[in-house]
Amino acid sequence: MVDTATVTEFAKLGAGIAIGFGAVGAGLGIGVATKGLMDAVSRQPEVAGKAFGFFLLGAALAEACALYGFVIAAKLVGLF
Amino acid sequence: MEHWIYSLNLFGKTFTVNLDTIFTMWFAMLVLIIFAFFATRKLSIVPSKLQAASEALMNFFYGTLDTMMPSKNRQHVPFVASLFLFILFANLMGQLPLRIIHLKSGELASPTNDINVTASLAILVLIYYITAGLIAKKWKFFIHEFSFQGIIMFLVELLEMFTRPLSLAIRLFANIFAGEVLISICLGISAKFLPLPVMFFELIVAFIQATVFMMLTIAYVSSAASVEE
Repeated sequence: MVDTATVTEFAKLGAGIAIGFGAVGAGLGIGVATKGLMDAVSRQPEVAGKAFGFFLLGAALAEACALYGFVIAAKLVGLF
Repeated sequence: MEHWIYSLNLFGKTFTVNLDTIFTMWFAMLVLIIFAFFATRKLSIVPSKLQAASEALMNFFYGTLDTMMPSKNRQHVPFVASLFLFILFANLMGQLPLRIIHLKSGELASPTNDINVTASLAILVLIYYITAGLIAKKWKFFIHEFSFQGIIMFLVELLEMFTRPLSLAIRLFANIFAGEVLISICLGISAKFLPLPVMFFELIVAFIQATVFMMLTIAYVSSAASVEE
């Protein structure tokens, strides 16, 4: 059996992996959203304000996926 | 991030209450009630500044509902508007210098920093959209046509009743909690003014998360209450 100290150390490793892979997905998502915003604004500059609102919404939804990983990481290191 | 936990003995069972969350939540509600009280006094055709601001706010809700829900959307305005305003005030409260006040244990923060608050809001949304669906479609809300596709749809909707409140609750909680942790880490590094840009970012996040919560609520209610042909 492994002792408790080893488990705690590996939990920190797991927390790092969780937040890292979550950030990869959220980064990809926000990148795609920004690309869509740029496409829309360069095609129709007059919708810039409206499109930016929808972009913020989509970016917040994509960012939430990274934060799910953050919650798991915080749980693993015992932050709450 | 620690909570001021108070143990309560009721009916032979022990309940724990996060007192700091309750105080900050009541404070947010108090601010909201005072705002609503003074915004609705002395209404006139030529609006005062406060009345103009609150009318602009209501137009925001009406506009959002009109774009996302095609018909019969005015009845959902009170729920959606109070959800948005409560979450907005609660999120913005996190940037007040609440840590000056020392508690017995734990520290004051935004009430949405506690998963119990966000989970109860999410369950409220679940109950609301199921009720709206039942009123709009009667029992057809649960039972579609009896076919393979209908059964699969029923199972997916059953699953959604768990995943929708879960994702709503965790999204709001994680955003605010991550902001608090980020500010704490920035404070811990060295400089006292390093958290300032993060706190400005958190002000934007407060608005965005309140909007996201409201928009998802509208989307759920709209998908539940719309009558399909």
